[in-house]
Amino acid sequence: MLAYTMKRLMAGVITVWFIATATFVAMHMVPGDPLMNDKAVTAEIRKNLEIKYGLDKPVGEQYLIFMGNMLQGDFGISFTQQNRRVNDIIRDHFPVSATLGVLALFFATIGGVVWGALTAVYRNRLPDIIIMFMVILGISVPSFVFAALGQLLLVNINSALGFSLVPVAGWGTISHMLMPSLVLGLSTMALLTRLMRSSMLEVINEDYIKTAKAKGLSPLRIFFKHQLRNAILPVITILGPQIAAITTGGFVVELVFAIPGLGRYFVQAVQQLDYTVIMGTTVFFGAFLVLMVILVDILYGFIDPRVRLQ
Amino acid sequence: MSDRILEVDNLSVEFATYGGTVKAVRGVSFHVNRGETLAIVGESGCGKSVTVQAIMGIIPMPPGKITGGSARLNGKDILGLPAKQANQFRGVEIGMIFQDPMTSLNPTMTIGDQISETLMVHRGLSYKDASALAVQLLDKTKIAEAAKRAKQYPFEFSGGMLQRAMIAQSLACNPAVLMADEPTTALDVTIQAQILELMAELQRTENMSIILITHDLAVVARMADRVAVMYAGQIIESGSVDDIFYRSSHPYTLGLKEAMPSNKGDRDKKLSPILGSPPDLFHPPVGCGYFARCPYAMKVCEHQQPPEYLLAGDTTHQARCWLQHAGAPVNKRLYQTGANHAD
Ligand SMILES: Nc1ncnc2c1ncn2[C@@H]1O[C@H](COP(=O)(O)OP(=O)(O)OP(=O)(O)O)[C@@H](O)[C@H]1O
Ligand code: SF4
Ligand SMILES: [Mg+2]
Repeated sequence: MLAYTMKRLMAGVITVWFIATATFVAMHMVPGDPLMNDKAVTAEIRKNLEIKYGLDKPVGEQYLIFMGNMLQGDFGISFTQQNRRVNDIIRDHFPVSATLGVLALFFATIGGVVWGALTAVYRNRLPDIIIMFMVILGISVPSFVFAALGQLLLVNINSALGFSLVPVAGWGTISHMLMPSLVLGLSTMALLTRLMRSSMLEVINEDYIKTAKAKGLSPLRIFFKHQLRNAILPVITILGPQIAAITTGGFVVELVFAIPGLGRYFVQAVQQLDYTVIMGTTVFFGAFLVLMVILVDILYGFIDPRVRLQ
Repeated sequence: MSDRILEVDNLSVEFATYGGTVKAVRGVSFHVNRGETLAIVGESGCGKSVTVQAIMGIIPMPPGKITGGSARLNGKDILGLPAKQANQFRGVEIGMIFQDPMTSLNPTMTIGDQISETLMVHRGLSYKDASALAVQLLDKTKIAEAAKRAKQYPFEFSGGMLQRAMIAQSLACNPAVLMADEPTTALDVTIQAQILELMAELQRTENMSIILITHDLAVVARMADRVAVMYAGQIIESGSVDDIFYRSSHPYTLGLKEAMPSNKGDRDKKLSPILGSPPDLFHPPVGCGYFARCPYAMKVCEHQQPPEYLLAGDTTHQARCWLQHAGAPVNKRLYQTGANHAD
């Protein structure tokens, strides 16, 4: 397991390096540069700025400088936000995005497992049909639609009550976090529900369930100790990739709910070709996702002895 | 106290499928005596597994449905009980092991925990006591280093070892009956022999009855006291091992015997497989189930079900064939008592 983890971490480092390089190349292939947005730059000022930010150097050298700094954990200074270090931007705003993402993943996993298990128990009966209909909605409707609907719902609830029970937008308290993370987790929840349902139905036909019945165990015990645990395994494997989906969805949800997360800065940076911020946030998110996927794999190992012990 | 530990009477089971209703078991009656081994033989799909699983109450319902009959364990009715009542005998008075040990144990639970689970549920033992007893049980089934093995997972066991563990698990509560559904089919020959030997030995020391399902007549000869031969959802012949092997009274039993290789040196003896295939259980024949394949079929066989005859002068040997009727023609190869020999 340790050797396996080390191997995964090595592969992760290479992946992150690849992401950084690809981002760098893509950035420099896009026409224009970060300075072109400043309308009032004379040729002379531009020259000075280029020297200040190192844009006068050949691209190859710029790459090496970027990489060298990055290895030391320094993502440089933003081009568009005067004198703000990229590291500070990440430190200030990533925790917000991460909280949102983790909460969303939490809702999605709990919801997916519970709904999926319910559909399996009530298969082909009314609860199953209703939940599966919702699943199709959850998978096919994009998250900004749910975000808007969620806000509308909150507005209606608050005005009906005459006071603000759950804030419609903004960030700060737990109650701020509920609706956006629910919205953000919705499509993942739908996907996990479907996966959990088929996994449950597969497990119920396994021989060891028959054995458990022949042992004289109660249906409840069979459900929790034998069926659920084994059915959850495939759900855990796709959690890794789903974290990526939630992260991307987070950019949109942050915008709609006016949440001061990192997503907003990322989108802005791309629009303004803010080289350092693009590089910093991309590499940081890349590294974060890779790490999460590895963590999920390790978690999987804890549940599935066949992985843990080999 | 009756000598019959388990009595099954006229059991019928159906499955609702998209293609129609499969009449998988059609009026099966048999009994098992204390301490004996009853073998149930018959070709694939004849309803052996469904029969024992219906008794255990573990066929999936739906699509399955027990449409008739009864099963009594020690005189108590056990057929079709709700889970709560059924769990008072499942795993306690009747233990069960299955064909494929590789898939019959929970892959994410240690072997020891799976055995102790039974003990905790039925005997109310603490986890600690149950685990200790689980190790003893593994030891009893001759698994070396039982304490260490108990902490391992199924994927760390070989097939033969897993079947031993399954046996240990099924014996946890000292059941009066062990149901073994083709316990050695998935294992290679030397392991097969070891498992059978283990079962025979445990039967003696634990004094339990065994219902042994198998395709293999050699296994029957070695293990069984009595035999029930099934065909197309019915028992078509039953009796002692000698009855079945030396006084075969049903053409299907004879066919099975002749399709079996023997090790008695007669190498040039031709094996003769039974031609044709079993009847469609969606629409079972109105007459004898074996009619389409039977070399001795008569007119009466097509339209009328033969009843279960107790062979004349016998108290246990039964056959379901018109050739046992008093008016039937005499046939040299079959053992007939009802037929008109004298005339
Ligand atoms: N869950 C099910 N749904 C539909 N039909 C079933 C189901 N289980 C069993 N059957 C049918 O019942 C019949 C008897 O099956 P059973 O498993 O008892 O055969 P078997 O004698 O044990 O055969 P084998 O030697 O292959 O194990 C078969 O025709 C099978 O198709
Ligand atoms: S009843 Fe008739 S068809 Fe059936 S086995 Fe006997 S002889 Fe053959
Ligand atoms: Mg079977």
